[in-house]
Amino acid sequence: MTRAFTQAELEAYLDEALPVEQMARIEQAVRRDPNLAGELAAINARRDAGVHSLGEIWRRHRLSCATREQWGSYLLGVLSKEAADYLTFHLEVVGCRVCQANLADLRKQQAESRDAAQTRRRKYFQSSAGYLRPGGNERVV
Amino acid sequence: MLVQRVRSGEADAWQELIARFEGRLLAFVEHRTRDHAAAEDVVQETLIGFLTSLPNYDASRSLESYLFSIAAHKLTDHLRREGRRPALPLAAPSGSDPSGWEPHGAARAASSIVRSGERRELEESALAAALGEQIAAYQRRGDWQKLACVELLFVRGWANKDVAARLGLSEQQVANIKFEFVAKIRAAVRRLGLPEDVFPELYEDSP
Repeated sequence: MTRAFTQAELEAYLDEALPVEQMARIEQAVRRDPNLAGELAAINARRDAGVHSLGEIWRRHRLSCATREQWGSYLLGVLSKEAADYLTFHLEVVGCRVCQANLADLRKQQAESRDAAQTRRRKYFQSSAGYLRPGGNERVV
Repeated sequence: MLVQRVRSGEADAWQELIARFEGRLLAFVEHRTRDHAAAEDVVQETLIGFLTSLPNYDASRSLESYLFSIAAHKLTDHLRREGRRPALPLAAPSGSDPSGWEPHGAARAASSIVRSGERRELEESALAAALGEQIAAYQRRGDWQKLACVELLFVRGWANKDVAARLGLSEQQVANIKFEFVAKIRAAVRRLGLPEDVFPELYEDSP
């Protein structure tokens, strides 16, 4: 039987790191196929046992992701063609969700009214500021 | 430093951090939920989660990556509550290896190499540095096709033939790029004194 999903894709699913369409496909497949749920549980067990995979380390450390500044240059069209082509590949073929989010945010900043962003930020601040504790958020080593 | 100021309880610093990161976090979550109000709630939970976990945050780690990892967890929780993300069994089926992941040959079974969290983090950091060095070398030399090739092989887990078709290479060229990449990472594993059996992919084709 041909495997519908690669091991690396199942790992990325567990980390909420696959392109959204593929996340949805795996969710549907898990509901239909208990063996797939078992495969995912086996990956969790393998991780708990301390086995690493190159893909998850690569993804977690964002080793080939562009910086925010590089995405800005990408939008401005000032990167070399080869570098820009690679970033398009990283977005569209690898499907990096974090880079997609950064690019979407940069595009939105160009279009969104300042008021809308300020209102949202004020709401986040008001709902979270109570957790700010002078000296209480220091790192515990 | 922004995080240090947040740790000291400076409201201005917290506002600045929110302004810097909330947009990209919202884009990440909303792309998946397709629901703006729900996505804002998840970002709110992410920011609160960041503050409550701040005593455990190691400032040598990327702040952006840390925030996205919290967002991914909060998003997963949200999707489970909504019934969109199915729950998984707590344990893998016994008596079998449904993942087909156990290392072959002389490498020990995953179940026999349980390691401490601290040890795992050290291994991961060391391997990330080795991978990052090789990726940076490709970028410096403008070897974008080689970078794309190894990214599809290891991050997406594609088979050689699929990578070859996507990138317009022959299967032999893909195999050569993979061989060269794996050899460099294996050499780094040896140089750094890391155990080979916790990186089975690097040794799965060994005779």
